[in-house]
Amino acid sequence: MNLFTLLISGIIVNNFILTKFLGLCPFLGVSDDERGTIGISISLTIVMVLTNIITYFLYNYVLIPLNIEYLRTIIFILVIASLVQLIEMVINHYFPKLHQLLGIYLPLLTTNCAILGAALLSSNNNYSLIETIVFSIGSSLGYFIVIYLFANIRERTQHSPIPVAFKGIPIALITASIMSLLFMRYVG
Amino acid sequence: MSGVIIITLLSFIFGLLLSITYYYLNKEDEQMKKIEAMLPGFNCNVCGFGSCKGMVKQALADISNLKKCRFLKPERLREIEEYIKAINK
Repeated sequence: MNLFTLLISGIIVNNFILTKFLGLCPFLGVSDDERGTIGISISLTIVMVLTNIITYFLYNYVLIPLNIEYLRTIIFILVIASLVQLIEMVINHYFPKLHQLLGIYLPLLTTNCAILGAALLSSNNNYSLIETIVFSIGSSLGYFIVIYLFANIRERTQHSPIPVAFKGIPIALITASIMSLLFMRYVG
Repeated sequence: MSGVIIITLLSFIFGLLLSITYYYLNKEDEQMKKIEAMLPGFNCNVCGFGSCKGMVKQALADISNLKKCRFLKPERLREIEEYIKAINK
């Protein structure tokens, strides 16, 4: 597949949040605060790219030659959990304020469907190493764009006249569904 | 059989990586805790650095700050000075 097509489709057409509905926990949880979204997307990018590189090598050079592809889910989760823990330790040591800002959502990236989904998709479609890297960069860029837009929209809805029953999460879910309808125009 | 071996090996490697990283990132915190344990621990602020924790920070910056602690016995002072010299080597 063309590399440029992979990048652009990861951002718009096959968006992880609005088209595939993967990784919605930080989407609804952190998007009150604009700076929190930047922190989440940076950590998601780092984790996704590193994980995809390591899982590419593990899948193609260890699992397939030994005929144990059925173990890829367990091994991918092992890699993701260790990498998230490593990155959390490094961020806690060098950027303590960022660590305080992210709070619980950085370890929650371990169970984030977006990271496991990206790893499983690139092993299902048999991408080469360069295609895997471009796919993960495109997906995390799309994730960042959507979560940043959503944070700005949510900050505006806090100052708008909304019925009391809808304030907070309900209006956020309605906004997310309208955004998803708009992005669905690009598919098919 | 090969699945069991591979998973055990990978878990071992990742565990080793994590513990080595944790050890190297928290080495300074461990040293500061050791020095704080050797101080009197009254948190009296006679030295002017706030608490015994503040004294540890200032002592690592300039070792002569240790003399400001009024309740530090001379043997303790020598122990702490030797410890800091051993760290800085």
